[in-house]
Amino acid sequence: MKTGGKIHSYKVHFGDLDDVTTRSGRCYRIAGPKNRSDFLVVIPARNEERTVGAVVSDIRSRHACCVVVVDDASTDRTGAVAATAGAAVLKLPFSMGAWCATQAGLRYALQYGYRYVVTMDADGQHHARSVNKILQAVVSGRTDVAVGACPHRLSAAKRVAWAYFRLLTRLSIRDFTSGLRAYNLRAIKVLGRRYASLLDYQDIGVLMLLQRQGITIEEVPVTMSARKAGHSRVFSSWFVVAQYMMQTTVLCVSRLGPRRRHNAEAA
Amino acid sequence: MSYQVTTSFIGILLAGAILYLVRRDHLHGPYALWWLVVAGITIVLGLFPRTIDLIAGYTGVSYPPNLLFSLAIGMLLLKMLKSDIESSRHERRIRRLGQKMAILAEENLRLQAEIEADRTGESRRASGR
Repeated sequence: MKTGGKIHSYKVHFGDLDDVTTRSGRCYRIAGPKNRSDFLVVIPARNEERTVGAVVSDIRSRHACCVVVVDDASTDRTGAVAATAGAAVLKLPFSMGAWCATQAGLRYALQYGYRYVVTMDADGQHHARSVNKILQAVVSGRTDVAVGACPHRLSAAKRVAWAYFRLLTRLSIRDFTSGLRAYNLRAIKVLGRRYASLLDYQDIGVLMLLQRQGITIEEVPVTMSARKAGHSRVFSSWFVVAQYMMQTTVLCVSRLGPRRRHNAEAA
Repeated sequence: MSYQVTTSFIGILLAGAILYLVRRDHLHGPYALWWLVVAGITIVLGLFPRTIDLIAGYTGVSYPPNLLFSLAIGMLLLKMLKSDIESSRHERRIRRLGQKMAILAEENLRLQAEIEADRTGESRRASGR
């Protein structure tokens, strides 16, 4: 075969299944995406074919960065639309929720040695122009994690809920659920670990985990628009809200107390 | 008919069902061992129901059936707790496996495209020569 020798020159990693450490420079330059930059944009998406294309092309028109859309087992054409718009698509074999979809993106970033990750929603409520602002907060070294927040858009019910959780967790954040965030490598490493894989929502569990690891979180005010399509996954029905509130309360209470060694052994 | 016949019948039936399922390889390793122990206890208690009265006497329980039921419920709760812990572990593993699979699939797709591009480039060079 003529191309036989050629194929062997590609460095492909079939590492250990839980190995998320950064590969050596040489490896990821060969196997990694073409247009490399320091940061990666990760967009978890589930059935967002109407908006995801515009979100991806908007980012790509402003930044020469790689965009990864994590398709959380959508039943529509989300993955195809995102790929057409120029994103790398990670297609999850089954739905595992917005947070675990995001985590897949973080692990992708670790594998290819990105230093920063910006996450945003696929429904178009976050603007590509906000990316720079929250990224700057992290790149400048001011904080490890920046959360893009738009507190005045919160409904009364959410304000009450967040006040309650602020009390429980002692996190000084007003907009817990914001999916517009920037992480540096330190935060990405923590969140890529196994103990973060059983979290179902990206908000309080994730933020508490970061807080316990001594990672600094800062809120950056940004503008957001109303959702073009779809609806909040959490605040969709009273039953789901009740379930969410109770589950998160249990999570908060079980994590209270002095900082535990989480990174020693990833149970 | 003595009540012992009834308890023996129930005990042997239960133990027989468990043994059958274990032998059919529906359960692996530690589960099989646990259920074999359960089968053993059901046989003993079924054939000799007075055993429970004996134990109750030693432990100071005045109404023996209470001892049996509390122990049985306690064991079942522990077993359920253990199986929930186990399924959480499985959930975590399967999620990470799914994430890794998605990452590798994307990498595979990209490398295939690269190889394809190389191949067409090579054939173009060959035909140009």
